[in-house]
Amino acid sequence: MTFLEKTTDVRKLRHWDGDMEAQYLYTTGIAGDIFFKGIMNGKIMGSKCEKCNRICVPPRIYCEVCFERLNEYVEVSKKGKIHTYTIAKIDIEDKRLKEPLIWAMIKLDGVDGGMVHKVSEIAPKEVKIGLKVEAKFKNKKERKGSILDIEYFKPVK
Amino acid sequence: MVKDVAVIGAGMTIFRRRLKETGKEMCFEATKMALDSAGMTLKDVDTVVMGSAPDAFDGIHMKGENLLDGAGGYHKPYMRVFTGGGTGVFAPIAGWWHVASGMSDVCLVVCEEKMSSCYPHPQSAFAHIWDPIIDRPLKPNLMWIFAMEMNRYMHAHNVSKEDIALVAVKNKKNALDHPCAQLGANITVDDVLNSEVIAWPVNLLDVSPPSDGAAAMLLVSEDVVSNHTDNPVWIEGVGWSIDSTMWTNRDLSFPQYVAKAAKMAYKMARIDNPRRQIDVVEPYDPFDYKELHHLEGLLLCDKGEAPVLTREGVTQRDGDLPCCPSGGLLGVGNPIAATMAVKTCEIYWQLSGQAGKRQVPGDPRTGVCQAWGDLMQYGSVMVMRS
Repeated sequence: MTFLEKTTDVRKLRHWDGDMEAQYLYTTGIAGDIFFKGIMNGKIMGSKCEKCNRICVPPRIYCEVCFERLNEYVEVSKKGKIHTYTIAKIDIEDKRLKEPLIWAMIKLDGVDGGMVHKVSEIAPKEVKIGLKVEAKFKNKKERKGSILDIEYFKPVK
Repeated sequence: MVKDVAVIGAGMTIFRRRLKETGKEMCFEATKMALDSAGMTLKDVDTVVMGSAPDAFDGIHMKGENLLDGAGGYHKPYMRVFTGGGTGVFAPIAGWWHVASGMSDVCLVVCEEKMSSCYPHPQSAFAHIWDPIIDRPLKPNLMWIFAMEMNRYMHAHNVSKEDIALVAVKNKKNALDHPCAQLGANITVDDVLNSEVIAWPVNLLDVSPPSDGAAAMLLVSEDVVSNHTDNPVWIEGVGWSIDSTMWTNRDLSFPQYVAKAAKMAYKMARIDNPRRQIDVVEPYDPFDYKELHHLEGLLLCDKGEAPVLTREGVTQRDGDLPCCPSGGLLGVGNPIAATMAVKTCEIYWQLSGQAGKRQVPGDPRTGVCQAWGDLMQYGSVMVMRS
C-alpha cells in the first residue's frame, strides 16, 4: 500500500526522476524601475503617500492602505534599526553554512517598511534587536541594478 | 436566503505580450478603474477574490498572496480561486457566492496573469500539467491536445478549416473596436489557412496570443445596490463542471462539461430556451474552433451547427446571436485568468450599455459568458440580466 521502510533519504525508495524546468524574465515594474535605478546610484528610494502621511519602501505606485496612486518618489535614509533577526546555520538547500549568516528585517529611519537583508561586520553574538545599521553598497562600477548591489547592512559606527 | 447580486463596475488593463508593470501594478490599474467607474473607494469593499492561473506563468509561488496589495486585499477577507483558463468566469462566481451568501455586501474580484515572465514561452509551464510518469516522458506540447480535439470536432461534424477560420476573422475584426486589444486586425480566411502550421490542423492564426493583463469587477448585494448605481446588471445564474482527468476518457467532439455548467446556470436563471432568451454571448475562444465547440456546449445551437451559424453571419456583432463582440481572446488577447475582462466584464459592459464601439445593437438584456480551463476539461458559465 505504501512505503513501509523508515528512511530520511527518499532516493533509496523506488522513484521516477523528474524536474520542472522553467526560466523567467521578471519585470521590475514602474516603481521597481525607480528603486533599482536608485540602487545603481547608491540611493534607497521610497514613494510618498500624502493621504496616509507615510513613505513606502520599497516604493510602489499605490498605497495599499488607502489605495491612492502614489506619484512622488523620494530618497530615504540608508540607516535604520534591526527590527528582528536570525543567525542562519543552514543555506537555501538545507546544507550547513561554513560561517553563520546574520539575516535581519531592517526598519529604515523615517519610512514605513524597509528591507530584509544580510548583516555583516559584526559577530553574531553581538547582534541585538534595535541595533543601528546602515546599507553597505558595492563600488559603483560593480553595481548592476540588483538588490545585491547592497552587499549587506553594517553597524553604524 | 440567497441575496441577489449585481455587477456595478469593471476595469481592465490593456493586453500586451509584455507590459512594463508588475503583476501587482497591473492589478492596481484594473482595480482602480473598476472602483472609479463605480464611484467607490477601497473602503467600500468588504471582501476580495483574486483569480489567477498557474503560479508557473508569473514565476512566483503562491502568487495570489504576492498580488494582494495591488488587488486591494490588505487587511480584508481575501482568497484566491483558480480553475486554470476557467478562472475568468469562475472568480466572479466565487465573488457571487461571497455576496449571495449574505457574508459580504461589496466584493471586489480581481484577475491577473503575467505570462511574459515565463521564458522562452509560457508553453513550457504547460508541460507540467501532464502526468509526470505516464505522459511527460513523451514530451508533449499542449498544442498537440488542442490539435487532436479540433481534428476530432472536424471529423465528427465534417467541419472545414475554412468555416473554423471565419471565427478568427470575426473576432480579430471585432477587436479593432476594443481599446485594450493586442491583436485586432482585418484578416481573411486565406491568411488563417496560410499561416504557419503549429500542429495540424491548428495554424498560428487559429490561436490566441499569450498576454499580460489584469481585470477587476465590483459585485454588490441587493441591499446596497441603490446606494451605488441605478444601472446594475444582475448575476442570475452560475454553473461549473469538470470532466474526467484522463484525456482519453472525454468526448472531445462535444464539451459535456460546458453543457452541464450551462444547464446549472440556466436552471438558476430560469432560462428554458437559451436560443431565444439569450441576446449576447461571450464563449471562451482561445482557439477559433473552441468558440464553435463552446456555442454547442452552451446549448445555443445543435451539435455541429455552430460553423453554419458563423458562415451565415448569425454570430456577427449585428447578427441574431452576437458572439464575442469584445473581440475575444483571439483578438484582444489571452492573459488566462484576466480574460475575465473580455468575458464577464464584457457582458456587464454590453448589458449596461457601456460597450462603446463594441456595443451590440438592440438593447441586449440577457447575456452569457463562459470560460474553459483546468486540464482542458472544465467549464464555468454565468448568466447576467439588466
